Amino acid sequence: MDYVGSRFPEFGPPGPPGRELTSAKIVVAGGFGVGKSTFIRTIVENDLLTMTAMAPERAGLVTELVRIQFGRVWLDPGLALHLFVAPQWQDPRAGWSDVVRGAVGAVVLFDVMRPADSVDAMRYFEDHKIPYVLALNNVHDSVRSDVKAIIRGMGIAPEVPVVNCDPRVRVSVRETLISLTEHAKLDRWRRRPGPDETTPLAPVC
Amino acid sequence: MSSDAEPNRRRRRAETPAEQTFADLMNGFSLDSGRKKPRASSAPEPAPREAPAVPRTEIPAFDLGPAEPADSSIVRAYAWTGGRTRSSIHLEIETLVSANDQSRRSAGILQSEHQRVVELCRSPRSVAEVAALMRLPLGVVKVLLGDMAERGLVDVHQTASAGGDTPDLGLMERVLSGLRRL
Repeated sequence: MDYVGSRFPEFGPPGPPGRELTSAKIVVAGGFGVGKSTFIRTIVENDLLTMTAMAPERAGLVTELVRIQFGRVWLDPGLALHLFVAPQWQDPRAGWSDVVRGAVGAVVLFDVMRPADSVDAMRYFEDHKIPYVLALNNVHDSVRSDVKAIIRGMGIAPEVPVVNCDPRVRVSVRETLISLTEHAKLDRWRRRPGPDETTPLAPVC
Repeated sequence: MSSDAEPNRRRRRAETPAEQTFADLMNGFSLDSGRKKPRASSAPEPAPREAPAVPRTEIPAFDLGPAEPADSSIVRAYAWTGGRTRSSIHLEIETLVSANDQSRRSAGILQSEHQRVVELCRSPRSVAEVAALMRLPLGVVKVLLGDMAERGLVDVHQTASAGGDTPDLGLMERVLSGLRRL
């Protein structure tokens, strides 16, 4: 774990063969056009890949396809972090549960002009006890505290971090991801003694 | 990929009668590949396309719209998996897989799709990446990789979050320190 100070290639080979490899994932959710892909592209510094998942056959609709964008960045030579754009359609049959199952947590990008777009995702993560942060998309300094107060008033859990984020700025995206991971760690710690409360989600195709 | 898909599908149908039912089902939803046959057998006219004014009497009332180009490649992909949609090996979308010595040794004798996976996985790649780069549906790739893992052709590096659990604290700590270094 002593890789401090060294720089790793973003998509390069992750170290010598035989080394233990593992991966983690973070989900980026939010309304249409709020900057989810930009957020991921900024941190992975690469074009996003697109994967298709197919909903299981039902009543003749055999060719439903869900496209899921994602990017990957090596955090250390053995750890690949994947960032997935949450599909708009929150249907467990259509790749959604594949994306959220086992995730570190979720970043919900929030456009103050269209708050309703992000509420579905927030509700989902709260219901399924998946830790998330609310990332306000680039709110101006002067009104930021007001906006945060209004959002707190909407009744989200008090421990959920509300941060400001510019999806185009690497440092901003990185800070958002750090605050998410810290929140997720705390959340995990709090729920450690008891049995796991997360709702098991059915696997898809 | 979709350009050569049509002849491949035809050929596959001819080779393996067991897949005909699924392929026929898919054709039922595509434009008119399934409808040509009966018309051709009843009235073998040489140029059917030259008479657009003739009403299409044999076409059923409902129309599901034009076929997407992805249809045919999906049929072929599911033929690879033998119609199975589940794998015996648990794979999450972020699970890393990599080629190993055995796959490198048997490079020349593998099926073409296995060969492609082995080439892709020379450096470790996640299930999602293999699906994206091979342009195959996730379910197909999971079955494909599961088969290859069972035969020892790829190594699967399980995630610490496997099994629907949340990731463990050690992994989160590692993610955190990695993010701080970015």
